[in-house]
Amino acid sequence: MNRIAIRVVFLLLAFSAFTQAQQPVAHNEVVIKNAVVMTVTHGIVQNGSVYVKDGKIAAIGKDVSAPSSAKVIDAGGKYLTPGIVDSHSHIALDDDVNEATSPVTPQMMMIDAFDYQDKAIYRGLAGGVTTSLLLHGSANMIGGQAVVIKHKYGLNRDALLFPGAPRSIKFASGENPKRVYGGKDQLPSTRMGNFEVQREALVQAQDYMREWDDYNAKVKKGDKDASPPKRDLKLEALADVLRGNLLVQIHCYRADELLTEMSIAKEFGYKVRAFHHALEAYKVADKLAANNVAIATFSDWWGYKQEAWDAIPWNAVMCMRKGVRVAIKSDSEDFARRLNQEAAKTIRYGGATDEEALRMVTLNAAWIIGVDDKVGSIDVGKDADLVIWDGYPLSSYGVPSKVFIDGDVYFDRSLPGFGMPHYTEGQ
Amino acid sequence: MKSVVGRWSLVVGLIFSSVLVFAQQKPIVLKGGKLLTISHGTIENGVLVMQNGKITAVGAANSIKIAKDARVIDATGMTIYPGLIDSEDNLGLTEISAEQSTNDLIESSDEIMPHMHVYDAFHAESELIPVTRLNGVTNAVIAPDSKDTLPGQDSFVQLAGKSSEEMVLIRDIAMPLNFTGEQRHNDWEKRKFPQTRMGMAAQLRQAFLDAQDYAQHWAEYEKKKSEAAQKPADKSDDKDKKPPTPPKRDLKLEALLPYLEGKKPIVLAAEEANDLQTAVSLAHEFNLKFVLNHISQSQSALDYVAGLKVPVIVGPIYEDPKPYERYDAVYSLPAQLYKRGVKIVFASYDAHNVRNLPYQAGYATAFGLPYDEALKAITLNAAETWGVADQLGSLDPGKTANVVVANGDPLELRTDVKQVFIAGQEVPMTSRQTRLRDQFSGQ
Repeated sequence: MNRIAIRVVFLLLAFSAFTQAQQPVAHNEVVIKNAVVMTVTHGIVQNGSVYVKDGKIAAIGKDVSAPSSAKVIDAGGKYLTPGIVDSHSHIALDDDVNEATSPVTPQMMMIDAFDYQDKAIYRGLAGGVTTSLLLHGSANMIGGQAVVIKHKYGLNRDALLFPGAPRSIKFASGENPKRVYGGKDQLPSTRMGNFEVQREALVQAQDYMREWDDYNAKVKKGDKDASPPKRDLKLEALADVLRGNLLVQIHCYRADELLTEMSIAKEFGYKVRAFHHALEAYKVADKLAANNVAIATFSDWWGYKQEAWDAIPWNAVMCMRKGVRVAIKSDSEDFARRLNQEAAKTIRYGGATDEEALRMVTLNAAWIIGVDDKVGSIDVGKDADLVIWDGYPLSSYGVPSKVFIDGDVYFDRSLPGFGMPHYTEGQ
Repeated sequence: MKSVVGRWSLVVGLIFSSVLVFAQQKPIVLKGGKLLTISHGTIENGVLVMQNGKITAVGAANSIKIAKDARVIDATGMTIYPGLIDSEDNLGLTEISAEQSTNDLIESSDEIMPHMHVYDAFHAESELIPVTRLNGVTNAVIAPDSKDTLPGQDSFVQLAGKSSEEMVLIRDIAMPLNFTGEQRHNDWEKRKFPQTRMGMAAQLRQAFLDAQDYAQHWAEYEKKKSEAAQKPADKSDDKDKKPPTPPKRDLKLEALLPYLEGKKPIVLAAEEANDLQTAVSLAHEFNLKFVLNHISQSQSALDYVAGLKVPVIVGPIYEDPKPYERYDAVYSLPAQLYKRGVKIVFASYDAHNVRNLPYQAGYATAFGLPYDEALKAITLNAAETWGVADQLGSLDPGKTANVVVANGDPLELRTDVKQVFIAGQEVPMTSRQTRLRDQFSGQ
């Protein structure tokens, strides 16, 4: 027993030594000066400075007081925004996006598939993305549990995990589950089947939760003979949905299904955090707003399948004007590299203000993931995830010049090779 | 219900456009805008006149005399530029990607299908077309899907018109030859010929050889026929001789002949430098005239590409670079080619979002392509590549009046296109999407 404990301690030491070696040298104190600071929450600071201490934003303003030892980075009058947040991504999961062998798989943990060496993380970083929600696919009515990452490419796996991010689970609906299981002549093959499968699983979870609640109550009363129910990872995860311990992220396109999902949530007493894709949300935007359900949508993708046929590029802004919290997400390795541009399309389609557009790929996306207290805007106390841009970020010409995560530069366009100060190929 | 609405708006649209045909007898004048002529620079405070489907005058405001009966449209504050040309997409061949019944993208029963003509499938009433032209794209090269090496022949279309006959301006304008590796049937379980690049090349070579033979047989026949015609009919020893019989017609081989004769270009698609050179060797072997397509993984062979002295349809620049390449290896490809003197054009390679074509050009400028070249790559360079520069691609008198009026920079994704003219007619600025927007706005 002792020997095992010693070995564990040794392994932990070895592991921390290894990660330390890979961790960039933390610039505890950095001042980014001479920037147009787009804060997202409190307007723009012209000729602004941001003082970063211990990886957090410590001050913002025309002038910030920082010790003379702080490293100064002159932004040269360029724009500074919060790091881009992608609220719907499947990068770095290789081909392990869908456990499409059963329509209910809440026990799948995306972290078990997370390939922290996937270059898509780097390419997103070079596009200004600092945080991503990696979701299970949409083959199943109830998919697996997501992992939230920071794009610290080059570090070890655990250094990329977003500390303290809440758990999210992926639900789906509509054509994908129908097609996957209907194609095998299994349930579900219709939308009736889809929702039946979902309700059935939730009913089982209610029973499971009751059994455990009864058991825990007995233990609390001092019943020494109480025997615990058998643990079931699948139902345990769903019970956590019912207990409100998981953020529910639902892949859903059609207006009728958006309504059905909200009514099922009400029936079973959980909250829907966000509808993903939600291309028909504009038809029922008031209902979404009333239920405080966000959407993570595309700017202009449409027509790739029947349930995307009524998609319109004005969806995001029409929903926003009705009070829906709107994020633009990538759902694609490609779009993840220029989400700033996808967001900028909402300025043209519907007249979003520049700040509203930027919020769709920063603060609103962070809210969907449940990390809006840590990232998504340039505010004191938040993680120093920041992007200095060449060109205007909300335009065809906006390209990240430098990307900071927790106050450190992870991408610098002016550097040769990959432009990553802490990474060289073959490391 | 939906289809009734759709049909009704189609009827309205037809009435609208026929009214415009009548009204078009009067000149339309766009006055006061900034003209991006493409061919001869920018004219601030310019005037552009259209009549009978053509541009009739372009110049500074004070240099153009405006006819009394002209319809003058105030374009102050607007930017005016020629209709954009997409050098490869699938418009009119698909409606809903996942719904096979709406797709006519490729006849995949065989790899060698040069006798497939996209004009036979081009769907003039596609809902995708109004969506596309609302962003100022007025012309496109429609290609079949690229899953096979020789999937058929492209058509050059105009994105407005009453029928596909009116919209297809040039049938069989070019023929794609796809050699990207994607065309291999290399699924080990379902493998069939050609499973490898060797197989693809061998199959192509055989097809072109067969076509050469076919041409030879026809040439021999024509020769015999004319010899027979020249000989006097009354010669007794020729009495038993039958007139020469023509070879059996073969549509597939016949379709290859204009390309073997160098009358039309092959669109030679490759991604990687090795595929590119194999494909070019094949083209040289049969003296094919060609333009290059994609080459997004050929960074190591750009000098070689420049040496070929052919236009390149580059990208899409959104292709992923190789894992060992820098993030911008493909974004910067247009600039790299331009520096080497290559004529570049852009293509959307899309259907639903062909409308985003100008943003690709804009993004390339963020990676070193000069702005004017980016704009040319979706206008005049494209028109020259497809042999229609006498009609399209710039704001010049005598050209077709495909003209876009927008509130700013055409390559900027914030810019809103306010009016599109195709062949001098105002295109209704509506689509299925604007109708849905309006239906659900203000509820």
